[in-house]
Amino acid sequence: MVLLDNDVVRMDWKKAKSIVMDTVTKYDGTLKSCRRWDERRLAYPMNRKNRATFYLTYHEIPSDNIPAFRRDLELNERVLRYLILAVDEVPEEELKLAAEEDGADYMVPEPPEDDALEIPEEEDEEDVADIVGDIEAPSAVEDVDDNA
Amino acid sequence: MESNAMKRRVRTVIGSKNCDDPIIDYKGTEYLEKFLTPQGQILSRRRTGFCTQCQKQLKTAIKRARHVGLLPFVG
Repeated sequence: MVLLDNDVVRMDWKKAKSIVMDTVTKYDGTLKSCRRWDERRLAYPMNRKNRATFYLTYHEIPSDNIPAFRRDLELNERVLRYLILAVDEVPEEELKLAAEEDGADYMVPEPPEDDALEIPEEEDEEDVADIVGDIEAPSAVEDVDDNA
Repeated sequence: MESNAMKRRVRTVIGSKNCDDPIIDYKGTEYLEKFLTPQGQILSRRRTGFCTQCQKQLKTAIKRARHVGLLPFVG
């Protein structure tokens, strides 16, 4: 998994994707699956960025090239962080999702602003009205006291 | 006066995982968050109810998620 800078993703998704793909191929690696996993707010800022695009790849790289591969990712300023794990096989779901992304119909949603807050969608208008009602209730009592 | 048995704290066990289930994934943050305290610490085996292997899987998954910024280290 590679965390990409949202500024690159905003400019050009293909360019952002090639950052990882080129690095893998540079070190004699073979890509099996690669896709945009998600775009999320980070739990803590990295390189002064609060959000990042998570890019998930499955690839094979000769073990001798892995230290150089790691170093290349670390030196790349567009890569906020990476995580390399060893897996036995590529999950079938990943292959399907990667194939869907490679299709011509796939559109990458533009990442929101770095400081954009995530507003929960669960709140209904009725809930908001209840909350407003709860807040206004004490002021009504104060008015009664003033009149008395 | 309350007996010692009454005073004893009753703590609910959170986890319900069979060892045959697939390995805990570091990307499943909603599931992993259940095993963190409000301060971001990993719950003990006593609280999670996991066996040794499953607790170790949980620990590894949470630490991986922290590394990639999916979960906080503190708070």
